[in-house]
Amino acid sequence: MSKIQKKIWTVSAILLVIMSAIWIVLTYYNNKTLNQYNGILERYLSMNEVTTASQRVINALNDYMLNPSLDNFEEIEMSKRFVQQAKNDVHQLRNIDNDFTLTNYIHLVDSFIESTDRFILFYSENELEASTKEFAEATSISNHISDMTLTLIEKELKTYDKFYIGMINQSSELKELGIWIILLIAFILLIASYLFSRSITKPVLELTKAANELSKGRFDRQVKVDTNDEIAFLAKTFDHMRKNINKLFIETKHKARLEHELQQNQILLQESQFRSLQNQINPHFLFNTLNTISKKAYLEGAQETSDLLVHIAGILRYNLKQMDRSVTLKEEVDVLKQYVEIQKARLTDRLDFEIGIDESCLKQLIPPLTLQPLIENAIIHAIEPREDGGKIWVRIYNGMNQVTIEIEDDGVGMDPKKIEQVLQEQYEPTEGHSTGIGFSNVVKRLRLFYGVEDTVRIESVLGSYTKVVLNLPKLRGKEHDTGLNRG
Amino acid sequence: MKKTTLFILAFIFIILCYFTFTSAVSVFESDWELPKPIKERESQYRLVLITQDIDTPFWNQVGKAAQEEAEKFGVSLEVWGNYGNHHEDFLKNLEIAIQSKVDGIIVQGLDSEEFKELTRVKASFYGIPIITIANDVPIEESLRRTYVGSNQYEAGQLIAKQLIADMGEKGDVVLMYNQDVEYYQEQRLTGIEDIFYLYPEIKMHHAKTSYAREDVVGATQNILNMVPETDAFIAVNANIVGAMVREIGKRYQTEPFYIYSFDDGPESIPLLEKGLLDGLVKQSPEQMGKESVAAMLKWLNGETVPLHADGYLTEIHIVKADGEK
Repeated sequence: MSKIQKKIWTVSAILLVIMSAIWIVLTYYNNKTLNQYNGILERYLSMNEVTTASQRVINALNDYMLNPSLDNFEEIEMSKRFVQQAKNDVHQLRNIDNDFTLTNYIHLVDSFIESTDRFILFYSENELEASTKEFAEATSISNHISDMTLTLIEKELKTYDKFYIGMINQSSELKELGIWIILLIAFILLIASYLFSRSITKPVLELTKAANELSKGRFDRQVKVDTNDEIAFLAKTFDHMRKNINKLFIETKHKARLEHELQQNQILLQESQFRSLQNQINPHFLFNTLNTISKKAYLEGAQETSDLLVHIAGILRYNLKQMDRSVTLKEEVDVLKQYVEIQKARLTDRLDFEIGIDESCLKQLIPPLTLQPLIENAIIHAIEPREDGGKIWVRIYNGMNQVTIEIEDDGVGMDPKKIEQVLQEQYEPTEGHSTGIGFSNVVKRLRLFYGVEDTVRIESVLGSYTKVVLNLPKLRGKEHDTGLNRG
Repeated sequence: MKKTTLFILAFIFIILCYFTFTSAVSVFESDWELPKPIKERESQYRLVLITQDIDTPFWNQVGKAAQEEAEKFGVSLEVWGNYGNHHEDFLKNLEIAIQSKVDGIIVQGLDSEEFKELTRVKASFYGIPIITIANDVPIEESLRRTYVGSNQYEAGQLIAKQLIADMGEKGDVVLMYNQDVEYYQEQRLTGIEDIFYLYPEIKMHHAKTSYAREDVVGATQNILNMVPETDAFIAVNANIVGAMVREIGKRYQTEPFYIYSFDDGPESIPLLEKGLLDGLVKQSPEQMGKESVAAMLKWLNGETVPLHADGYLTEIHIVKADGEK
């Protein structure tokens, strides 16, 4: 049975029991009083019965005197038996108060019966005078009987006067008690029903409040109901639901953020694609021209110029590749080398470049044009401003879980504010870059590509050196077709 | 706020509980016991004392003494009586007592044929002993077992002697009594007359009346008209003394008369206390009540058979208005 139903049942049952108990008690008392009234009334009636019976005997005697038939004689006998019966009944009514009078009364009835017997005797012996006298005697006794009945009843009334008053008092007290009980029960009922209804509505109210909170989008407040009925169960379920929704909500939020990042990535990509498209016609033409010039230079014996032109063409070709695919470290390093050759041709001995590569990690996947902008950056900031040039080191190590690439120069260094800006992807000085891709762009792309925040670290001492460290989580791809030339 | 509400509710609850409880207690504790019924017939004598007058000081004393005596011996006794000397009621009471087969009847004597018929014939028929009290009826006529009370002849003599002592041996005396012949009245009268005959200078005037008040008033006026020079009144029957004294008081200052009576009338003693009576014969009602019950029990128990036919006489003495004896 459910708990609320049980509660209702219990309250109703208790009420029913109390009501029935009161009803039974009141009925019992009522009955008792009625019985007592009845008992008293019966006393009067049985006393009166003697009078009636004795008068009946007198009537019968009279009838017999007028008409001495057998019927009338039998009537006398029968009425006499009635008198006897009535006398016996009255005999039961003796008590301390009426003992004397009642004894007299009974003897009077005896005298009456004896007198009647004598009448019959005299009458049967035809002693008319004597029988008439006995008849007169019987009549007088009968009158005395009725007188005495009245006296007795009067006496009874006096005796039972106190009793009556007591009964009347009791009934009025009973009435009073009834009123008090009704008041008490009404009071208890009001309180009980208030408590009872509250025990049901309070959890419901709490639940409503919680639902309200939930509808307002506050998922962090716990739903708690301290009862042991169905409402508590409902609240528990509700709380469970709240937790689930909360979890889902957080997940959705997370997903939304991811999506947002992805979108941004896409936008960046599109941006760079757009730029490369913009440059597409020129580069193709330029590429072919460069190749032609290279061959021409070669044929004319300008070996060095021819090589430079090949490098430029290589970089151009690499640049023209789709930007949204990843490349291997090897490809990246090759392009880097070509770029450095070109720069060397420009800067001659001002640029001292040193590269150390752990060959085992050349298959690491990496977004294209990652290293080149960093080297370019180093050249722009560390080599070009200085007349006597500078040195750039590139070191690639193979770590346990990651590939570390260090690019160090001995230039003027970066102040920490600038480092912070670069790492926050807010610094975007695109001018002066051959590919149009700056440091911040690289950082952003690296983070998006590997999905890890701390891929880039910059160490720098102003006027001494700058060192960019890339920690790339290992991500190996198949051998890329480096020979694919889409230009 | 919440505390106050709680307090008020608790208060109401306690008050309701209290009233309900007290009410319940008064309902369940109210005790009115019925008189206890008697199952066994307790065999004890039932005696009845029947008088012609009830609620007079004299008869109350008789009744009370008789009751006490009956209680002492463990017999039940009831005093029956009627008001105002109503003979029919008195005789009916007697008849009922006889027909109720009581064990003994103590009755104030009444000198009438009906009374004698009842005592002589009916009581004998039912075998009920009868003792007369205060007023006697001769044994030959009533077949009473005995008489308990004053010697009325002596009482008459006593009052006559007292009158002579107060008034002197000469004068007119009015004797007022009931017109019905009553044995005790006659005896008193005889007693008075026997003394007065010794003093030839005392003249007696007889005035008869009934018990009715207007008759008494009329008779008093009549005798005062006839014998205006009278010196003394003797109300031989004490029942008429009230009306008589009042009527005399209307005409004269009561001082010039010597008024004497007996104590068994309803107004005798109050009149004496007011000084309207000069003296009266005081009998011994308590002694009568007591002795009558004792005598009846002696008879019933067969201790003294037969009882003294002349009766058991009780004390009498004169009481005067100023308290002298």
